[in-house]
Amino acid sequence: MTAKLSETATRHTMIPKTATEAPSGKRSDHWFDFNQTIPGAQRFMLGTVGWLAFLLFWQVTSQLEFAPDRLYPGPAAVFSSLQELFLEKGFFSDVVSSVTRIVISFGIAILIALPLGLLMGSFARVDSLLNPLLGAWRYLPAPAFIPLLLMWLGTGDTQKITLLLMGVVFFLVIMLADVTRQTPRVLIETAKTLGGGRRIILWTVLFRHSLPGYVDTCRQMLAVSWTYLVIAEIVAATDGIGAMMMRAKRFVHVDDIMAGIVTIGVLGLLFDILFRLVYRKCFPYLGREQS
Amino acid sequence: MLSARGLSVSGISKSFQSGGRTILALDDISLSLPAGKVGVLLGPSGCGKSTLLRMIAGLETPSGGGITLNDRAVYRPARDRGMVFQDYTSFPWLTVRDNVAYGLKINGDSSALNEGTVDHFIRAVGLDKFADAYPHQLSGGMRQRVAIARTLANYPDLLLMDEPFGALDPETRWQMQDLLLSVVRKERTTVMAVSHDIEEALYLGDVVFFLSRHPGRLKETLYPDFKAGLPENDREAFLQSDDYRRLDLHIRRLMRDEGRDAA
Ligand SMILES: Nc1ncnc2c1ncn2[C@@H]1O[C@H](COP(=O)(O)OP(=O)(O)OP(=O)(O)O)[C@@H](O)[C@H]1O
Ligand SMILES: [Mg+2]
Repeated sequence: MTAKLSETATRHTMIPKTATEAPSGKRSDHWFDFNQTIPGAQRFMLGTVGWLAFLLFWQVTSQLEFAPDRLYPGPAAVFSSLQELFLEKGFFSDVVSSVTRIVISFGIAILIALPLGLLMGSFARVDSLLNPLLGAWRYLPAPAFIPLLLMWLGTGDTQKITLLLMGVVFFLVIMLADVTRQTPRVLIETAKTLGGGRRIILWTVLFRHSLPGYVDTCRQMLAVSWTYLVIAEIVAATDGIGAMMMRAKRFVHVDDIMAGIVTIGVLGLLFDILFRLVYRKCFPYLGREQS
Repeated sequence: MLSARGLSVSGISKSFQSGGRTILALDDISLSLPAGKVGVLLGPSGCGKSTLLRMIAGLETPSGGGITLNDRAVYRPARDRGMVFQDYTSFPWLTVRDNVAYGLKINGDSSALNEGTVDHFIRAVGLDKFADAYPHQLSGGMRQRVAIARTLANYPDLLLMDEPFGALDPETRWQMQDLLLSVVRKERTTVMAVSHDIEEALYLGDVVFFLSRHPGRLKETLYPDFKAGLPENDREAFLQSDDYRRLDLHIRRLMRDEGRDAA
């Protein structure tokens, strides 16, 4: 009887303990609980397992005899041709041209989209003026303009950068405006009652509050940029990752094409990681749960 | 009426357009609050307390009537009327110190910054240990203290508060009320606060304005001046005093009548 009593007593004192431990993410009882935070090491391990499973699948299927090796090489062949590309075929300069196109076009896109998005998200009248226009342009597929761009701008970098810009900038404006609009009204009103004028509130509240959202939006849109880059370089280019892949196609070098795809994937991932790093370093105030 | 320093609201009304119909939210409200006093707007939910406070802040335009503060007409938000909202309004990207300094910074008041105004008010609300913390590291009560310090550091002529302690637990609420009173008495700030809690209204207010609803009208003005005869900051003496109980019961009856009207 007394044993039972003390048992319930300890169980009662245990309850608050586990309750405070749970949010820190150290332990959870079930493998598939909702909203779990899992330790970094375990997350890394699971990610590796996913990749290994994929590579294994690729290796095994490439060794089955349903397609000739030439058309469907395995991972080992692709990685060795990747090495060859970089060491012997000057692929590095192709990568530099592609990355340069991405960086320049995306830089211009941000320069255009940021002021417009900030103003549209802040002022309903600017939004009413521009949203119907830009919102419609967003749905015109940028590749449809390639014939025009080729006639107007030739086959050089201007044409490619313009295509990349067109593919991204309209979405970016609308999305940055949306981010700006999320600024809580009460923060703006607080700044007003502290004596803030329009210009001050625009920068110290709306822009500042939206900054993390801007970085995150740019991270997502950059992925779209890579899609248009490949299109631009496949259509007409002498250098760049896409151009290399088109050359390889002419000589049926499937392993080189696959190596190009892998390169793009890795580059995209690197940029993504870079943006996440910037986010974590620049916005420590968001706390752990939001980063 | 005598012109005096303080807040004067005369014949204010406010109607809203809603679904093609016009709703009269406030009808012909006139009241005045002398400088250095604490006023409380009390009344049932929906009677227009927030609307009135927002019009005093200049965040909302009256449909009729006028508001003056120290004989100057009020028509848009300005530094002389600082406001503390019920929602947490600390800027998440600023530390406590930078939050409190925000008003002075945007007004280019570097002299006040140098004079240690910011540190003074951080200390006044008891946050000196958290001056370099970010809001997400603070509790709700602490965030409201940041908001109060930030508003007071700007030296407003009138401090407006819309249920600033509404989201806090009862104990923290009591502490915050005492803290507010001590700071406000020391700085001789004029305060207009909104509450729908009778105890809070009587504890804080030198003047309590009771509003009725549909439409919002000033039904009664109460002066809980019995507090002058009680020891300061003594919650129990306050709650046990006969005057408090009498006023509390009186206001409860007013509230009940309001409920009956609505039903
Ligand atoms: N922007 C608006 N549009 C339409 N009606 C509004 C608007 N703002 C307030 N009202 C109406 O005005 C009346 C008063 O609202 P208000 O928020 O001022 O009341 P309150 O006394 O602060 O209530 P509570 O105690 O719930 O905060 C309510 O009936 C509300 O529906
Ligand atoms: Mg309200």
